[in-house]
Amino acid sequence: MVAITTAARSGQEALKNRMNSLEGSFAYDETAYHLPVSYALTGIPVHDPAAALSAYVKMQQNPIIAQECLLAKKTQKDGREGDPYTGFVPDTVLRKLGYSLVDGSIIGLALLIGNPEKGSDAAGICRELQEKYMLTFLAGDIIRALTGSGVKVGLDYRLIPLGSTTAHGVHFVDIIARVAMMFGGVTPGDAARLLAYAAERAKAIVFVFPGLSDEDLAFVDGMRVLGFPIVSLGGYESDTWIAATPQDAVTKGMDARGIRVTVTAIPIPMGCSPAFEGKSIRKEEMYVEFGGGRSPAFELLQMKAKGEIIDGKVTVIGPEITEMKEGSANPLAIIISVTGPAMKKDYEPVLERRIHNFVNYGEGSWHVAQRDLIWVRISKEAVAKGVKIEHIGKLLASKFRMDFPSLIDAVSVTLITDREKVLAAKEEAEKVYAERDARIRGMKDDDVTTFYSCTLCQTFAPNHVCVITPERPALCGAISWLDGKIAYEMSPAGANQPVERGKMINPATGEFEGVNRFVKKASHGEIDRCSLYAVMEFPMTCCGCFECIALMLPEVNGIMVVHREFKGLTPSGMTFSTLAGTIGGGAQTPGFAGISKQYILSDRFLQAEGGITRLVWMPSALKEELRSRLMKKLEALGIPEFFDQIADETTAETIEDLSAFLAKVNHPALSMAPLI
Amino acid sequence: MELTPSFDWTGSVGTVTLGATAADGGTRSIAYRIGGGTTLPLLPGGNPYHAPLVAFEICDDPRIWPSIALKACGDITQDIAAWARTAETAYRADIVRLYLTSTRQRNFSDIASLKKTVEAVLAATKLPVIIEGSNEPAIDSEVFLACGEAGQGERLLLGTAEAGRYRSIAAAALAYNHAVIAQSPIDINLAKQLNILMREIGVPRDHIVIDPYTGALGYGFEYSFSAMERIRFAALKGDTDLAMPMICSAIDSLNIKEVRDAGPAQQDAMAVRWETYAGISAVAAGAEIICVRHPESVVLMKEAIANLTLPKGGA
Repeated sequence: MVAITTAARSGQEALKNRMNSLEGSFAYDETAYHLPVSYALTGIPVHDPAAALSAYVKMQQNPIIAQECLLAKKTQKDGREGDPYTGFVPDTVLRKLGYSLVDGSIIGLALLIGNPEKGSDAAGICRELQEKYMLTFLAGDIIRALTGSGVKVGLDYRLIPLGSTTAHGVHFVDIIARVAMMFGGVTPGDAARLLAYAAERAKAIVFVFPGLSDEDLAFVDGMRVLGFPIVSLGGYESDTWIAATPQDAVTKGMDARGIRVTVTAIPIPMGCSPAFEGKSIRKEEMYVEFGGGRSPAFELLQMKAKGEIIDGKVTVIGPEITEMKEGSANPLAIIISVTGPAMKKDYEPVLERRIHNFVNYGEGSWHVAQRDLIWVRISKEAVAKGVKIEHIGKLLASKFRMDFPSLIDAVSVTLITDREKVLAAKEEAEKVYAERDARIRGMKDDDVTTFYSCTLCQTFAPNHVCVITPERPALCGAISWLDGKIAYEMSPAGANQPVERGKMINPATGEFEGVNRFVKKASHGEIDRCSLYAVMEFPMTCCGCFECIALMLPEVNGIMVVHREFKGLTPSGMTFSTLAGTIGGGAQTPGFAGISKQYILSDRFLQAEGGITRLVWMPSALKEELRSRLMKKLEALGIPEFFDQIADETTAETIEDLSAFLAKVNHPALSMAPLI
Repeated sequence: MELTPSFDWTGSVGTVTLGATAADGGTRSIAYRIGGGTTLPLLPGGNPYHAPLVAFEICDDPRIWPSIALKACGDITQDIAAWARTAETAYRADIVRLYLTSTRQRNFSDIASLKKTVEAVLAATKLPVIIEGSNEPAIDSEVFLACGEAGQGERLLLGTAEAGRYRSIAAAALAYNHAVIAQSPIDINLAKQLNILMREIGVPRDHIVIDPYTGALGYGFEYSFSAMERIRFAALKGDTDLAMPMICSAIDSLNIKEVRDAGPAQQDAMAVRWETYAGISAVAAGAEIICVRHPESVVLMKEAIANLTLPKGGA
């Protein structure tokens, strides 16, 4: 075992001595960047010992600079090495290489050095790196070890032999330094910027086999400053290097550097695309079905700790589709486990809802509803093509990885078709659902300092800005605060942006400094103030997607709500569609607000106007839809009788009817503070 | 009557340089600096460096080009170099825009030919050049590498980046110092999003030209107009992610129903008028490069632009 700290220190001494005895001039042809590492770090164009020393000293005797200068000198003296070694890579080649990195056809760079005991170990690592679209550089003994075990090297194989000694590995660093200057806007001499670029942008990993000299180790250890993980394959002792075996080295290195391989094709015998999402599978086209009230079925997605699952693993417990009778209904459990550094428990339900989309992406698979209400069908056509239960799992595993690359780094899927086991697992799932409901219900606006915006609708309502809070979902009802948060994490430049709520201006109306600031900017200067919990003053703007409209009825000192599905006239004298036409398009209309159905149940609903007791009228269908949940809320408030005090089209068609009805039931709004 | 509008804008449109002369390591006879407006277009300060420019569009496989444009240009359409040269010398365009339509054939793979085509066009005209690459994501990487390389030093404008399909163009722009057209489907937010994505990948703001997507007049142009107006407002209000000059190409103008129904004698004139009026409207909305395909449209556009912009170099 070589202790890296001690070896590196003695290596640095040796390098220092050699730097002090540098002589003559040296330069590489075919580059505008002199000695690129020295140039990028210090801005000094090094061509002679004096310049080399000043760069070396300026960078606190950095061993990479020493290696670069010494190798340049050696190359000048001995000439370039012949085939197969590339030596210093000219700028023109580098431009193409940088292109492939930006373009994504190469996802990262690796350097392999040292002298492996078995060539096959190094060969395995190279093969894995090739498969994962990494460009691999080789320096020193490792090249002979690889060619000895039959590995072909060269640019065509994405395995580039830099030179015969480990010191040639410095070209790996000079490539990254030049990419930073060419593509990253790093100015020569701006060391801080270069280091930041290397650490944040350069997707580089170093793999080290045993057998390096102290000087080499000083240089390799020096690369840690650049943020490159150093993966050790044995023989070295260090707290900062990552110890690995040939089998897990690539995974460990890529994980440490955050390099992810994107899945492109899903290996299943049916098409998979959003194009198939709307296609349903009718009874006569169906081969088998699951759930839908005909058999027990459920779906559950949960996060696990890192390392607990194997990415892409699909397990089927119970009979496969080939053992199922055509036309039959069978039990099914879809259990998905995910891990990821940014994954949070709160995201589980949001991701779980994607199972619906993904299963429908399959050309011959169909899915409706959620949780333990799911109903899944697989078509005869798909089964004839060889689709099995297992493939639904593969589809899900791949799609989750593809669509949530920044969130998820491993997905495994278990599909159970054995009745007893499904029932047992379902009991567990029910507990998880209940916990989740409790958690979401418990989430309050005061618990967070960040809300989320939604400007998806600006396409047709140019100045509309939705502000989504835990207690106020988007007015379309489709995006909750958590959805907004996740959408932002997945697409930081997208339509959902964080809104720091800032100082509270008015607790009753829900006006916040930060929200006002955001809305002003996002509405292109049109809207100055936005009250999150008010209908009367500075309500939120409306696009056109609102599930319901809340509007004041001055005649009765109350507020009514009408939902999109209600076709009749409301006591306001207008239908939903007339009202929608009046308030939509991104305008702020005092006295009117677009809201989601869910929001009616929120404690923040009509907060500025005195709360739920301002509500005087709702269509009966909406009342019925909300009945059980609204009753629960009213009971908690101690006013269960209020439910029947809310008029509907059966009790009040016109404003006169409504007036009479409210007086008859002694509606609380009548005695509340005047709305205007 | 003198109109002196004051809006208290806080921002301005960024500038983009197209073409490189010998002084900058290229071979163009002129380089344009577009953008820089500090108020609405056509007002004093609206187009400080240049009156809007007219680009003439040509292609390397005329089989999918509008027949009206082919007829108006004649036999030169069979020779890309001659076509490019004529665009400069006879049609008097300010810019030549080359569409590599050959890449749109099924299973296209002759990347080497593209490089030759680009080189031929760059040799035939000394004007700044816009290159439109492939329409097929599978070959983007190779196509844009070839375009970028062939035009190295000439400061091309490369098209067209879209959300979900911008990496190769961005890479070519970064590697060979070209500018990029970023197109979004008539949507200010998507335009902004794409610009942010481009910025994140490293393309500097002064290398991006926005294409808001232009419908033909009467065929969706009003949406384009509104999107452009709002992009301009956003820029002037200080949103740097939208503060780029715009390019418009109402390419459907030559194929619309009115042109098809116009009858042989009227067809040509109808096409020219339709293309020109769309272009003039786009100038009013803030476009700084207008692309046309009919030679006569170049003449009319330039005349119109001269009349719209103020005489004392103010526009």
